Amino acid sequence: MTRISSPAAPSRFLIVLLGARYLALDAESIQGVLTLEEVGSPDDPTIHGLVYRAINLADRLRILDNQGSAHSRIVLLSERGVQGSIRVTTVQGWLELHPSQVLPLSPQFCGPERRWYRGMILFEKSIALVLNTSWVLDEQVASVEDSGGQGGIPRLVAAPKMSVKNSQVC
Amino acid sequence: MLRTGQNHHRGTARQSYQLLVFFVGGRRLAVKAVDVSGISQWAEPIPVAGRTPFITSVVRQGQTVLPVFDLAASLRLTVQGSSPLCLRVKHSLGEMAMCIDEEIPVLHTLDPAMLQTYHGKDLPADGSYTNGLDEIPILSVSQLGSTE
Repeated sequence: MTRISSPAAPSRFLIVLLGARYLALDAESIQGVLTLEEVGSPDDPTIHGLVYRAINLADRLRILDNQGSAHSRIVLLSERGVQGSIRVTTVQGWLELHPSQVLPLSPQFCGPERRWYRGMILFEKSIALVLNTSWVLDEQVASVEDSGGQGGIPRLVAAPKMSVKNSQVC
Repeated sequence: MLRTGQNHHRGTARQSYQLLVFFVGGRRLAVKAVDVSGISQWAEPIPVAGRTPFITSVVRQGQTVLPVFDLAASLRLTVQGSSPLCLRVKHSLGEMAMCIDEEIPVLHTLDPAMLQTYHGKDLPADGSYTNGLDEIPILSVSQLGSTE
């Protein structure tokens, strides 16, 4: 019996714009994409009984985003039982890629952003940064853990300290 | 996209240094030619939100994506000219791009006897040399990504 090795399965990504930057979200983490009208209140939308706590991604990434466009969408995310929602400027569409088409973030980027992104995708004439959904939802994990009242659990999104000397990095 | 400097030493027995002299914010800097992988027109950088000092964007050149080291910002200068250039350098972690002034870089051959220690603290340097009243630092590309 001959075993046939199958190539790695393609991955699907939702390409969105946040401010003027392309971001890619892993389809496996996406529970839905809704308009602001469909959501009602963008603060912690509740869909089918599940609360998707609102995450201010632009703030966390320090991206200038003029919120409130008619094209804005709320993306519902879920991973390992943790839910969250992010507002994006526009949704560009779905992209199916072979894993090898996801480029690693250049090693010269050595700050906490290494945890923010899982890589880069060539998109149109630009690139889309693949968001690490675990990091996006980390804030939710911390909130859930904090609300459990057990205390003593450090927040997962703390930025490591970096040394900076002149123009040297890393 | 290079001019040839006028101070070539022809037929010297000692090993001379091949340098590329370029400008950032009107300031003259040098880099070892062996550390340079290319020069091209500067393309619009793509911002990458992060906290790595002076590396906050990438440039796309075809299928290649290069991190940008903002040399001008690290020197508190502003790149001059309406058509800046992209200097690609060979960094130990991979190629990097830097935006430099539009003035065409010059190849320069340096006699090792002219090499001196650079005492400035504003950029990592492999040394410097004097040209008239100017001290021209030789940028240490490898140290741009080194840990302290």
